[in-house]
Order: sequence, then structure tokens, then C-alpha cells
Amino acid sequence: MRRIIIPVLVALVAIIGIGSAVMAGSGTSSVTRARLERSLPVSFTHLYVQQAHLLGHTGVTVASLHAKAMCDKRGPDVADVGPGGDWVGLMSWDDPQVPMPPEGYGKFELNVHSNDCFTASGPTKLTGYLTINDKSGREVTNPVFEFDGCFDPQGDNTATGHEFPSLTSVTSTTLTTDADGGAVLQLGCGTGSQGCSGTVVVTDGKRVLGQMPYSAKEESTTSLTLPAPVPATAKEVTFEVRPDTGAGPSGPVTLPVQRG
Amino acid sequence: MSAARPGVVSALRWELRKLRAQHRARVVLLAALLAPVPIVVIIHGQSRPPKDTLFGRFAPDNGFALALLVLGFASQWVLPLLVAIVAGDVFASEDQHGTWKTVLTRSTSRGQIFVAKTLTAGGFAVVMLALLAASTIASSYLIVGHQPLTGLSGQVIGSHTALSLVAASWATMLPPTLGFAALAILLSVWSRNPAVGIAAPVVLGLVMGLVGALGGVEAIRPLLLTTSFEAWHGLLTQPRFTGPLVDGLLVCGGWSILSLGAAYVLLRRRDITGG
Repeated sequence: MRRIIIPVLVALVAIIGIGSAVMAGSGTSSVTRARLERSLPVSFTHLYVQQAHLLGHTGVTVASLHAKAMCDKRGPDVADVGPGGDWVGLMSWDDPQVPMPPEGYGKFELNVHSNDCFTASGPTKLTGYLTINDKSGREVTNPVFEFDGCFDPQGDNTATGHEFPSLTSVTSTTLTTDADGGAVLQLGCGTGSQGCSGTVVVTDGKRVLGQMPYSAKEESTTSLTLPAPVPATAKEVTFEVRPDTGAGPSGPVTLPVQRG
Repeated sequence: MSAARPGVVSALRWELRKLRAQHRARVVLLAALLAPVPIVVIIHGQSRPPKDTLFGRFAPDNGFALALLVLGFASQWVLPLLVAIVAGDVFASEDQHGTWKTVLTRSTSRGQIFVAKTLTAGGFAVVMLALLAASTIASSYLIVGHQPLTGLSGQVIGSHTALSLVAASWATMLPPTLGFAALAILLSVWSRNPAVGIAAPVVLGLVMGLVGALGGVEAIRPLLLTTSFEAWHGLLTQPRFTGPLVDGLLVCGGWSILSLGAAYVLLRRRDITGG
């Protein structure tokens, strides 16, 4: 029995030992922002052309799409390197039949593995759901709903310079007031290059209640206290986001008031 | 040299004869030949594809994708196990049966026996892999079909190119498979126990796979035997890349030389007289 255990143990200890020694030192991962930014649009473009073919859209070719991506791993304080399920890819492309939203891109969730392959799932508003109806009406799998790709671990690693603005969004779904009419609004700042800042103009439908400046890091939420109490008669309050950096929602957001 | 050759050849002939008589070696080869058929039939009948493995999402209705899905699965532990069943036993079985003294009292040297046994294990690995690959590719091609394949850059690969790329991908399994054979030989000589020779390479393969999947150990990852099992990805992208294949060849060569060298030294220095 000793003979069985000792060699196995020695080998395991050796592997774990080398592994932790390396972990203590510095290893640079082949999974980098630049390689993902080069690889993701290539895979997406090929598959989007497949989708256009299924849908019967004409005029969509690999050359016409001009897909560009910006990739980011979890917020501004984390280095954009290494495998993980916390990568986000912002991508823009030119298809006259599917215009980009005002912020100019769609957001892809990426799960990047240490073997230099990734799984991306697309923004369903732009790329559609798991199945689509092809031009003859059959239900088929949507090639860009979710897709796999791999990149060269020794491939070009110079920065692509692709950047997109963060999207500011109102994450509150109702406005809950306290006894004095005070309330707090939640703003979210999405993945992007420079975070979010600007002003939110608050109106109760008729008159302006005030303005709230905001500033948030990318991939974070922030709470803003309303500058004035919500009038007791107001049923709804409207917020208009006017961004200085980053992009705002496509129009004013109206929230129902809930008395606390 | 000329005096040594007949010794190795006759030792090799003897080893092959022992292998042919071995029940489990035949079972492994038969399994490599037949097992892919029901696996292909079952995955082909799935309504929900196994998406968490590369090519899994296309596997139920694309023969090439299915052959690559089986490839990804086989490389996790099946190939190390199948190869170790012979390579991990070829030396240790002499211990198990107490036959070292009998073998070495013949006119063959330890070196000649080492070469013959190593060649037997290596040859078995090649035959096993070839059978498994041919059977998987043929059954997925015939049962599921030969539709154009969507590659790892989203590109569409025509049937003819896809067939040769799938065959090439299976061929890239050979270096790491031989690396595992060498590792099994080392463990077999070292432990003098067939159970260790067969089970330990599988366990080590799983551990290496786990270490390779961790983030933060990137410097060690290229040195693992299991990393070479994934080098075929580069053949199915656009443009293709072969850097990991070349690195994998060097790494597997390194593992094989070190393992066989250590095994040879251990065997040479062993005191056999005690039985």
C-alpha cells in the first residue's frame, strides 16, 4: 500500500508545489483585452452573416459590417487580463436593418477560459433570441445568440484603441418616498471607457423639482437623494439624464411614486 | 549495435506476443473501435446539445462537430486511461507475476527489454488512438452527416477541408498520448504495481487539467501535458495558428524523455535478485 501512495503523493506535491511557486511569482495570461477585441468581432461577423443569410437579409457581408469591439474585465479597478466569466464586450456594427441603440453599441457577456477560448452571448434586442424564424418560416437556432470562439495565445497584443462610452441608466423601478417626501434615485453606470457623469433633471410632470449632479465609476451604481421633496399630489416623477461623459438613456424615465 | 539488434527484436516479438495474449489489451482496442458508435448515436438523438464543450452546440446535427466534441471529451481522461492500461502494466506485470528473474536470465539485457517494452507500449498507444479516431470520425460522418462546419472564428468550413482538419485534430492527440504512455511507464517501473501504473496517470491527467483551468498559473500552463490536448483549436480558427502545436510537441517530447530516462535509470539500478 505504501508503494502505491508514495509515488502519487510525491507527484501531487510536486505539481502543487510548482503551481504555488508560480502563483506566488508573476505569470502573464495569454487572455488579454487586445486579443479579445480582435477575436470577438471576427467570430461575430462570420456568424452574423450566417444569421442574415438565414433571415434572408441581403447586403450583409463580412466586409460591410465593420464590427468593432471594446472588451473589459469587471470594472475600472481590475486589470483587463486573465480568464473569467466577468468579461464584457461592447461591440458596434453596421447593418442598416438593425440600427445601433443611441449609445452606439450592443453589450455581449463573455465567459473566457484559460485555454484561450470564449463563449459570448449577444444582446437579444440586437441579435435575437435562441431561435429565429428563417426566411421560409422554419424555426432555426440563432447563430449569434450564443457562440464560441478561440484566439491565438501568441497573437497580436497591441491595444486596438477601440473605446465606447459607459451607458448611464436609471435602475430604480419605483420612487419610494419617506414621511417628508424625500426619495432616493438609483443610477447605474455600465461598462465603458470613462465612467459616467452629468446631471439628472427631476420633474413631477408639471414643474422642475431640481437638478442632481452625478458621477459614477463604470460598472457601479450610485444613489442620488432628490433635491426637493416629492409633492404629496405627485403620482409620477420624471428623470431626464443629461450626460457629460458617457451615454444616457434614449429618453426621460418616468417612475411611479410609492409612499413609504 | 549489430549484436544488440537481434536482442531487441526478439524481445519486442516476445512482448507483442504477451500483449496479444492479454485480455484487457484486446478489450481496450475493441472498445476504441466500437464505443464511439453508440456515443455518436446518443448525442445525435439529443434535443438539447452539450453546449459547455467546444462544438457541443453543433454536435447533434453536424458530424464534424460531433467528432470534435468526442475528441474534447476523450482528451479529458479517456486517452490517458486507455494508454495507461498497457503502458502502466508492461513493466509492473513482471513484478506482479514475479517473472523478472526469468526474463533477465535470457540472453537479453535490461536495456533491450526496456526498449522492447517501451516500443510495445508506444505502438499500442498509436494503434489505440488510430482506431478511436477512425471509428469516431467514420461513425459521425456516416450517422450524423458531413454538413459544412462552423469553425472557432465563426467561419464556415467546407466538408472536404473540415474532414481533413478533424483528422488532423485527432492526429495532434498523439504527442500528449505518448507523453502519458511514458509517464505511465515511469510510474509502472517506480511503483512495481500495475494499479499505480494505470490509475496514477489518469489522476495526474485530471490534476493537470484542473491546474490548467485555473487562472493565475499561466506560467505553468504551457508546461503541462494536458495543454497539448487543446492545441488543435488553432487548426479550426481563421487565420489558423500553430504556435501551441509546436510548443506542445516540445513539451510532450520533454515529458517523454524525462519520464523514460528516469524509468530506465530506475530499472538499471534495481536489484532483481530478491525477486
